[in-house]
Amino acid sequence: MSRFYDEVVVASGTSVEMSRDKSGRANHESSLTDDRPARFQKIRTAGIVVLGPLSGLLFICLLPLMSLLIVVTLLSKMASASDVMQSEEAAMCMGCHASQDVVKTFGNKEKMSVHISERHFKDSVHSFLACTGCHSKVSMDDHPSAKYASRREFAVQISQACKGCHSNEQLMVKPMHRAAISRSNAPPCSECHGSHSIRKSAGWKEAASTSQYCLTCHKKDLSTSVNGETLSLMIDEKLLRGSVHSSHECSHCHSEYSKTTHPLGEFKNKRELSIAFSGVCKGCHADKYQQHQGSIHASLLRQGNRNAPVCTDCHGAHTVGPKLLAETLSGTPCRKCHESTFEAYKSSVHGQAKMSGNTHAPICSSCHSAHQVKPALASRSPKATCFGCHKDAAALHKEWLPNADLHLDAIACTACHVPEAEHTVYLRVTDSKSGASIEKAKLKEYLGSGYNDLTGARANGLDDKNLWDVYQQLSERKSAAGITGTIGLQDCNKSHSLASKKWAVRQCDSCHDANSKFFKTVVMAIIAPDGHEEHYAVNRAVLGSVITLLPINQFYAIGGTRLRFLDILGILMVFGGMSVPIVHLTLRFLTIPIREAKRLNKLRREGRR
Amino acid sequence: MKKIYLHPMTVRICHWINAFSFLVLIVTGIQIRYRDVIKVTSFRTAVDIHNIFGFILIFNFCLWLIYYLVSGKFKVYIPTFSLKGFVTGCIRQARYYGYGIFVGEENPHHSTPDNKFNPMQQVAYLNIMVLFIPLQIITGILLWDLKGFAYWIGLAGGVKIVDSVHVLLYLFFTSFLFVHVYLATLGHTVGEHIKAMFTGYEEVPERGHSH
Repeated sequence: MSRFYDEVVVASGTSVEMSRDKSGRANHESSLTDDRPARFQKIRTAGIVVLGPLSGLLFICLLPLMSLLIVVTLLSKMASASDVMQSEEAAMCMGCHASQDVVKTFGNKEKMSVHISERHFKDSVHSFLACTGCHSKVSMDDHPSAKYASRREFAVQISQACKGCHSNEQLMVKPMHRAAISRSNAPPCSECHGSHSIRKSAGWKEAASTSQYCLTCHKKDLSTSVNGETLSLMIDEKLLRGSVHSSHECSHCHSEYSKTTHPLGEFKNKRELSIAFSGVCKGCHADKYQQHQGSIHASLLRQGNRNAPVCTDCHGAHTVGPKLLAETLSGTPCRKCHESTFEAYKSSVHGQAKMSGNTHAPICSSCHSAHQVKPALASRSPKATCFGCHKDAAALHKEWLPNADLHLDAIACTACHVPEAEHTVYLRVTDSKSGASIEKAKLKEYLGSGYNDLTGARANGLDDKNLWDVYQQLSERKSAAGITGTIGLQDCNKSHSLASKKWAVRQCDSCHDANSKFFKTVVMAIIAPDGHEEHYAVNRAVLGSVITLLPINQFYAIGGTRLRFLDILGILMVFGGMSVPIVHLTLRFLTIPIREAKRLNKLRREGRR
Repeated sequence: MKKIYLHPMTVRICHWINAFSFLVLIVTGIQIRYRDVIKVTSFRTAVDIHNIFGFILIFNFCLWLIYYLVSGKFKVYIPTFSLKGFVTGCIRQARYYGYGIFVGEENPHHSTPDNKFNPMQQVAYLNIMVLFIPLQIITGILLWDLKGFAYWIGLAGGVKIVDSVHVLLYLFFTSFLFVHVYLATLGHTVGEHIKAMFTGYEEVPERGHSH
């Protein structure tokens, strides 16, 4: 200011000097014009008349310019004074904090660099503030060494400073802030906004993509709590960029969110959120979504099993990998839930081929399909699954197996190609025309109260009389239904341990023998609404019972499931046939004397004549 | 004693082919059905042999049928149309096997080329040749190709029923074989009927004589 006054003083002095100079010259000029007084007098008068107004006008015009000059000079002096003050404080702080090597250690041994980038701070929206503007406990004279248990606690404490300028009312305008403020475990401001390099959002928000904007916060370690469950809100940017959806913006899936809107999600728990969000995938993958609706997984979900898998359980939410990844041993999602089955698969000829690098070797989805996942069909429709790839299997079997088609209809491929496994005969009530299993609900309708004959608990399982009752009821109410049977494996997991064909069962004796292990156990299989089969134990004696001659008239292995009635009858008939000559010969032997006597009498009579 | 030409060459060939086929089918039948009791050959071998001799039997049966129908000799299987005569004949023959034979009575039936069988033989062989063997052949063919004949098997009531009929007849033929062979020894001498089945000629006592 003094300089300003100095300058003003100097300017006045100059003006005064100039005035003196003029009058001096005037005085000198007046001494010269004594000889020509009238002429000079006219000229002076004319000069005063012309120059006077001109000088006044010039002064009036220069006055605002001079005032502006004075104000600018004053302000620059004031700013310069502030700079001096701030730079002194900043210089002092940066004396230490400019170093990249200064590290603070928290109570939990967590370390944090306390380096401040001067350049970033100067670019930040808070560049006008002095360090102590936020770090109020620190001054040029004092730097208390605060102790914090953790980095987070430090961040929470330091973020309190933000409230000094940004009131709660101001923050509550945004729903996310409103939600965050109301939570006890809300993330500190710095979690999303950073600390020393906060830029004005108007400067970058518009230019940023939606994903970039969302990730500003969501790439941080954010989480929320719902009914006691912690839901991480952090998105791993690297994984997101590596997913097949990397080119999508967040708002493509999270359609109600954008750079300007962020409603608060409402859901009961994490699982419900996953289930609800699976509907989002439908937007682009309608066909796959429809396929999933027909799957056992969706069926279980509809029945109330909230753990049944939805899209994200297999594909992940933000880390959706390519299809090919799901077809690899390490990438197939099925193993997460079906671990034992997957282990069985790995030991199989298919799994071994996959492990040896054969990318065409089948994996879970090859047989069960990827989205319309069906329960194991191996014992229900033996050929359907395997023949999808093994198109020449029927022809190859016909080369050596008599009645090959029949065998392939009645016996699951796995029954012979997993030679070490335990077998079971699966009886089913099927439609006589289509051969399809009749589902539980229909069966209840057909059988009425007689349905209990199939499912009632019995110590030794269903017996032949139960099956006869069922057969009779079916005949009365639904003539085109019967009981059929197939041979499959007892443990469906074992179905996945398919061996090389050189180990497959080829000996007919394996089945066509009353002691065959293929007929050791029998179950009645009923298809539940979800597609699973419910199994009810059946006494294996039903296979050889004459009472089931009609009820199970199509399942029969010569020598393997023969009727006991015919065995007994056979023994009686053969021994009966053998006894005829034995008894007759014995009688003939015993009656030899009678015939001998008769012959002698006859000879005697002939002799008399 | 007199010799009569009872069994023409064709009949004798058919008979012995039949006999051998029956034996093989019975033995292989045991191997197919009762493997848990006796196991000599593999199931596959037993089935293959059973199938081969099954077709031989079918061929032989057709030969027999054609011969008997063409030659007109089929009437030897037809019992008398007189019910009284048939019943009387059966009772008389049954009385002989059940009583007369023990007390030295003469066989009421005397075989001639035109009247080869007694009434009981007639009814037995007529059933065997016209009913049982054709039924055994049909069920055998159905079982030979279960898938190919699935429709017919369905009409018959299912594979279990078809096989039960086949086995039932199999058991009947097996048990009948003992009776048949025994009855074959009840000729003029023990080997007379059997010898005749080789030579065609059978020695029969003159009418009125008995031994």
